[in-house]
Amino acid sequence: MSSDVRFTDFKSDKQPTWCPGCGDFGTMNGMMKALAETGNDPDNTFVVAGIGCSGKIGTYMHSYALHGVHGRALPVGQGVKMSRPDIEVMVAGGDGDGYSIGAGHFVHAVRRNVDMSYVVMDNRIYGLTKGQASPTSRSDFETSTTPEGPKQPPVNPLALALASGASFIAQSFASDALRHQEIVQEAIEHDGFGFVNVFSPCVTFNDVDTYDYFRDNLVDLQEDEDHDPTDYEAAKEVILDSDKEYQGVMYQDDESVPYHEQHGVTENMSEIPDGAPEDAMDLVREFY
Amino acid sequence: MAEDLNWAVGGEAGDGIDSTGKIFAQALSRAGRHVFTSKDFASRIRGGYTAYKIRTSVDDIQSVVDRLDILVALTQRTIDENLDELHEGSAVIYDGERSWEAEIPDEITAVDVPLKSLAEDAGGAIMRNVVALGAACEIANFDVEYLDESLEKRFGGKGSKIVENNKEAARLGQEYVQENYDLDHLGYSLETTDNDYVLLNGNEAIGMGAIAAGCRFYAGYPITPATSIMEYLTGRIEEYGGHVVQAEDELSAINMALGGARAGARSMTATSGAGIDLMTETFGLVATSETPLVITDVQRSGPSTGMPTKQEQGDLNMALYGGHGEVPRFVVAPTTITECFWKTIEAFNLAEKYQTPVFLISDLAMSVTEQTFPPEAFDMDDVEIDRGKLVDDDTVDQWLDSQGRFRAHAATEDGVSPRAIPGTTDGAHMSTGLEHDELGRRTEETDVRVQQVDKRNRKVETAKEEEGWEYREFGNPDSENLILSWGSNEGALVEALEYLEEDDVDLRVISVPYIFPRPDLTDEIEAAEEVIVVECNATGQFADLIEHDALTRVKRINKYTGIRFKADELAEQITEKLSAEVPA
Ligand SMILES: Cc1ncc(C[n+]2csc(CCOP(=O)(O)OP(=O)(O)O)c2C)c(N)n1
Ligand code: SF4
Repeated sequence: MSSDVRFTDFKSDKQPTWCPGCGDFGTMNGMMKALAETGNDPDNTFVVAGIGCSGKIGTYMHSYALHGVHGRALPVGQGVKMSRPDIEVMVAGGDGDGYSIGAGHFVHAVRRNVDMSYVVMDNRIYGLTKGQASPTSRSDFETSTTPEGPKQPPVNPLALALASGASFIAQSFASDALRHQEIVQEAIEHDGFGFVNVFSPCVTFNDVDTYDYFRDNLVDLQEDEDHDPTDYEAAKEVILDSDKEYQGVMYQDDESVPYHEQHGVTENMSEIPDGAPEDAMDLVREFY
Repeated sequence: MAEDLNWAVGGEAGDGIDSTGKIFAQALSRAGRHVFTSKDFASRIRGGYTAYKIRTSVDDIQSVVDRLDILVALTQRTIDENLDELHEGSAVIYDGERSWEAEIPDEITAVDVPLKSLAEDAGGAIMRNVVALGAACEIANFDVEYLDESLEKRFGGKGSKIVENNKEAARLGQEYVQENYDLDHLGYSLETTDNDYVLLNGNEAIGMGAIAAGCRFYAGYPITPATSIMEYLTGRIEEYGGHVVQAEDELSAINMALGGARAGARSMTATSGAGIDLMTETFGLVATSETPLVITDVQRSGPSTGMPTKQEQGDLNMALYGGHGEVPRFVVAPTTITECFWKTIEAFNLAEKYQTPVFLISDLAMSVTEQTFPPEAFDMDDVEIDRGKLVDDDTVDQWLDSQGRFRAHAATEDGVSPRAIPGTTDGAHMSTGLEHDELGRRTEETDVRVQQVDKRNRKVETAKEEEGWEYREFGNPDSENLILSWGSNEGALVEALEYLEEDDVDLRVISVPYIFPRPDLTDEIEAAEEVIVVECNATGQFADLIEHDALTRVKRINKYTGIRFKADELAEQITEKLSAEVPA
C-alpha cells in the first residue's frame, strides 16, 4: 500500500445527487480526509453505508464498500471487522437508519465495542423518503406524517450511547470542516467503537435545524478548558444538557478494550486451508 | 429385520434425562453396536414430560419403531405416555421407595430398584439415573464395563472421585437386580462387536462440516432447534482461528455473517422458524450483492411459534421463494446425518463458486437424533475446498476497466464474476442491494438492469450444467412403485422397504438432497405406475414441485403431528396409498 494516500483517493468518480447545499457533502469530505490522514488506503478500508440520502455516501466514496438494507449497516460492519481485524471499518448512515429501524443494533454495537467508527448524518428528518419525522425530530416539528409534530420527545443518541456503555462519544457539525474532520479522526484512532453524531442539515425538508441554527447555537467543547472527556460525570452533564448543542468529544474511555482483544479475535479469517484443517480428524474422534 | 433393543429413560425436564440417555447411547456405541436415538421433549426447562429413546442393534438402523423393551421411568407419566409401546416382554425400572406408586400393567415386568438410596450409598442422590443404567445393563445382559467407559468420558473432567462414585452407582444398580430378580426369561442379550463407532447428531455434523469446510465466522441468535450448531461451534471454531458471535437478533445475525463473507471469510448463520422470517429481507441483498453465504434453516413445526420442539418440513417454500423480487439461490437439503456433514461442505463450495446465498435445509428430527457411524464416514481427507473466482494482487488486473476500476459484477458468460476481498490491491469496489452496473454502482438503466438480472440467473444455469444434482436411491430400481422423499424421512423409508418386502410389496425409493437446482426426475416418474411423495408437512410442498416438474399428479403421504415418520407406520401408509385413487 502506498504511504502517500491523498483524500481524493477515497473519492469515486460518481457525482453525488444530493441537493446542492446538503450537509452530507461536508460530512463526506471530512470522512475521506480523516481516513487518509489516519494512514488508511482504499484497498484496506471497508465502508458500510445505511439507507437514506446519507447512505448514498458509500457510492460517492472509493473503497471496499457495501450498501445494504435499511438499518442493518452496523451488523455488516461488525461482521467485516470481526473476521478481518486487519481492515479499517467505517459505518455511515442517517438518524432514521441508525436510531429508528436500526436502534437495537446501535445499542449492541456500542456495547460490543468493536474497533470501528460509526458516523451518523443527523439531519433530524427523513430525507430520502421526502420529509417525514425522524427519531431526532423535535416534538413540535410539523411534517407530512406528523402535521402537529411527533408529540414525543426526540431520541438523544448520545445519551443512548452513554447508557449502552459507549467508549467514545462525539458530535460534530458538517459545516465546521476542520473540527468535523478532527473529530472523525479521533473516532477512527480510538481503540474501540468510535461514535460520531454529525449535524448534517437537510436544506430541502428541514427549515428548523438549519446551518444558521447550528452556527448560532453550537458550543465547542474544545473551547471549554474544564471539559475532560475521560470524566464520565462531566460527559453525562454535557450529553444530558438539552438546552445547548455541543460539538467535540464528549466522552472517551481511556481504558477501552476493543472487542477483538476481549475475545481473542486476531486472525485474518479469509485465509483457509485447501482441504480440511490438518488435525480435523480430531473433530470426528471427539464423538467416540 | 435387525434383532434390536429399544430402551428409554423418561421423567421431568430437568431430571437429567438427556445426559442419562447419552451416557447409555455412548456405552452401546463403544460396544460396537449401532445406535439410533430420538427425543420426546416439551418446550420448557423444568417440568413437563421428557424422554430419551434408544434403539440399538448390531445391524445398521436408521429409524425409530413403536416398541419399548426396557423403560427407566422416573415418573408415572413416563409409563402412561409409553403404554402403547410396552409389550409382554418389556421391563420397567422404577423406584418404589419414592412417593409415587407406580401403576404398571400386570403383563409388564416391574423392576423396583431403590434408585435414590443406592445412589446415596454410592455418594449422592444425584446419581440415581446411573443406578438405573446399571440395572438396565443387567436386564439387557450388557457388560457394565462399557458403561464405565462412557462414565469416564462424561465425568472425567470432574475428577476421578466423581468417576469412581458413578461407576459404583452403576455397580450397585446392577447387583441389586442380580440379587433380587430373575429376568432371564425376558431373553435380552446385547451382543458386542469390535467396531469403532462415533455417535453424533445432525447439528453436530453441520457444525463439524462447517469447520472442515473452512467456515471461520458464524453469527447466530439462539432458537430451537438450530442453537446447538452455534453451541458446537463455540469453543471449537476458535481453535481454527474463527469466531462465533451471538447477535442481538436474526436480522443482525444474517447481516453480520454477510459482512464476514464480504470480508472474505467463509461465513454462516443458522436459524429456525421465526428466525428465518426475520432474515428474509436480507436474502435479496445477499443475492444482489453476490455474496457467498450459507444460511441454515433447521426446520421446526410452524407457523408462528408453532410447536418449537417438534418436527416439521414446512419451510421448503420459504427457502425456495422467500424474499421480495426474484432471488437466485441454491437450496440443499441433507437427507441423513452424514449428509449433514458433506452437504454443509458442498454448500460452502457452491456459495463461493457461484457467489450466491445457499440455503442448507435440515429439520428437527435430524438435528436431535444421535446416530452411530464408522468414523470414515467423515473422512477429512475427502474434504475439498473450491473458493471459486477469487482474485489476488496478481490476477486482479485482468478484471479492471480502462480506468482501472474493478469489475466486481462483470457480466461473464457463466454469470460468475471475479471476487476481490478487502486487502486486494486495486480490487476496491462498491456492492449494493440496489440494481447496479458491472462496477457495483447504482443504475436504473434498462439494458444494464436486464444484463445484471440475466447474469445472476445465469449462475443457476451454469451450476445446473456443471454440478451433479444427484439423488440417492434404494429398493428395486425396476419397481413400478416410486416413492420420493426429501430431508430426514430417508432412514424410515429405507427401513419401511424391509417391512414391505416381507409383504411382497416392492418399491423404488428416491431421496432427493437438492431442492434447487434439483435433479430432473421426469424419466423416473414416467417409468413408474404409482408415485408417492412423503414429507413431514400438511400441504405437500415438495409434492407440488414434483407435480410442477413432471406435469402429473402424484399421491402424497403427509405427517404434521410434530413427530417424525416411523418405519412401520410408513410401510402401512404406503400400502394403503398404493391401492388408493390418484387425486383428481
Ligand atoms: C425496511 C425499509 N423500510 C423503509 C424503507 C424506506 N426508507 C428509505 S430511507 C428511509 C429513511 C431515511 O432516513 P435517514 O436515515 O434519516 O436518512 P436521510 O435520508 O435523512 O439521510 C426510509 C424510511 C426502506 N428502504 N427499507
Ligand atoms: S433531501 Fe435533504 S438530506 Fe437528502 S440530499 Fe437533499 S438536502 Fe440532503
